[in-house]
Amino acid sequence: MLTGIRERKMLHPGDTMTAEERLRAAICLQMPDRVPSAPLIYYFAAEYAGMSNHDLYDPAKYNAAMRRVFEELGGFDAYNWLNVYYPQLIAFSMPMRVLEPGYDLPPDSIRQFLEEEVMEIGDYDWILKICRRFPLLAYPRLFSRWIPRIWEEVGEGWRFYAYLVPRLQTTLLRWRWEFSRWRKRGATVLSACLLEAPFDNFSMARGLMRFARDMRSIPEKIERAADALVESYAFSIKWLCLYTGVKRICLAVHRSSNDFISPADFRKLSFPSLKRLVELLAAEGIASVLHLDGNWDRNLEILRELPAGHVVAEFDGTTDIFKAKEVIGDRICIYGDVPANLLALGSPAEVDEYCHRLIEEVGRGGGFILGTGCELAPNAKPENVRAMLESVTRYGYYRGGSGRAA
Amino acid sequence: MGEELGKLIAELDEESTLRAVREELDKGTDPLEVLADLQKGMALVGERFEAGEYFLPDLIMSGEIFKGAVALIEPLLSGREAKSKGTIVMGTVKGDVHDIGKNIVITMLRCNGYEVHDLGVDQPPRAFVEKARETGAPLVGLSGLLTIAFDSMKETVQAFADAGLRDRVKIIIGGGPVNQTVVEYTGADAWGRDPGEALRLAERFA
Repeated sequence: MLTGIRERKMLHPGDTMTAEERLRAAICLQMPDRVPSAPLIYYFAAEYAGMSNHDLYDPAKYNAAMRRVFEELGGFDAYNWLNVYYPQLIAFSMPMRVLEPGYDLPPDSIRQFLEEEVMEIGDYDWILKICRRFPLLAYPRLFSRWIPRIWEEVGEGWRFYAYLVPRLQTTLLRWRWEFSRWRKRGATVLSACLLEAPFDNFSMARGLMRFARDMRSIPEKIERAADALVESYAFSIKWLCLYTGVKRICLAVHRSSNDFISPADFRKLSFPSLKRLVELLAAEGIASVLHLDGNWDRNLEILRELPAGHVVAEFDGTTDIFKAKEVIGDRICIYGDVPANLLALGSPAEVDEYCHRLIEEVGRGGGFILGTGCELAPNAKPENVRAMLESVTRYGYYRGGSGRAA
Repeated sequence: MGEELGKLIAELDEESTLRAVREELDKGTDPLEVLADLQKGMALVGERFEAGEYFLPDLIMSGEIFKGAVALIEPLLSGREAKSKGTIVMGTVKGDVHDIGKNIVITMLRCNGYEVHDLGVDQPPRAFVEKARETGAPLVGLSGLLTIAFDSMKETVQAFADAGLRDRVKIIIGGGPVNQTVVEYTGADAWGRDPGEALRLAERFA
């Protein structure tokens, strides 16, 4: 059962809060008992457990691998996850053609995305039309248009639903079961699911080259179509949160960084729909974990306009996270950012030193979650992962911290 | 006129650039001269990108406009070739199929007068060595978005050493997680964060 009284299981001997309490305190910009950790782990688990990456499609093998990482490398507070058992479902988050280990690539490769035209130029108008007719159901309608273009076997119309609904249902039930296992282990779950913000969906589904042209030729249409989708995205997310019992959602905003678009375009084309979505979710008590890959240095001021205490900004080592703490730390919980190359090529002492600095500077006063930014590098050294995960108990306890305001 | 043509492409004004190119060619201006003017404009685009005024979509658009202009010029060159600023071999290393970053860098290099041989994605070390030997390119660029590409980059650098080419070929690397630590790990010569830095490295090495 997801509800009801549960034992207040502590993860480490020095803890005075559960992982869920700790995570919530950090997101609300309060000072928890210590800094929570939430590494994003997927392919590393296969590497660590001596499996092929393709094996992660098997729920039993995936869960065994993740459990080993958790139990053998120091544990973490929040389970941040990427597992889907049917590759077709990835398109709901990232509408792109994808090459999968064991299907299109050797079993030990990792998933790779191709920039193809999944969204056609006429789809902007189609979205506006469909949003007027089905304001809350536009999200599934849109993906029932896009996914058959990526996966021929899915089919269109009723075939789309006949193919995907049972797979989606099975996956959601598995996730619920997996989440309950993580809670029993003393961890909590970071997010109900990983989805993409509407503007970023367009960028991925159009492909970078075509989208660059769209941004010059039809910017108002991009903005209007993204805005029109907000209600249906919020509705779908609300449903997912209810079903999984997790009132947080990861939203990938990885095509809106300074690496992809200018701050002016971010402000005009991407941010309005993102802000409205985050606000609608905040009104329902759902926190948004924004997955902010790339460089966000010049967008930080804009992010200040998001509702305080309801947003997490996840950086991947490219943004200056120390500057981010100064600029947005009083309004947004900061999450990150042990870099992939440090975990893959550095030494445990270097990882420990960097995590210490993050905890001391970005963690000051609360409002911080230690993480890997983007996904933990599959070839990260296990001793480096241990150094990262242990740093929160080594340096992360707050004096007098128990959920009080920072 | 030259300066104006450069300005038009630097302002990313597609219609006016192509119109001006057509007018110049109709007037009988040497196509190579028109090409050189366009390249000056592209250099300006690179400068604006470096200065943080232009962003990726602007680079992409400038590349698209340049391609459109070259399509008008090419039939009139009748076999003559613009003087290349240098030869470069580029590709995404083995195990990685990402190519957007590489393609944008290649477009910018070509627009700036370099002859670039694009090997494509998922290329084994041998392919880089063979192409560098065949073309005599003094510079090789390795691209990769995944951390597992680090080992492929390292193997590729080693393959150049094994082939006895390492002292005459400079190797630069780029892609999402690449930084100076990765340069040291792979044994490459330098790395670039973006197409602007790739251009500077090309000027230095090619």
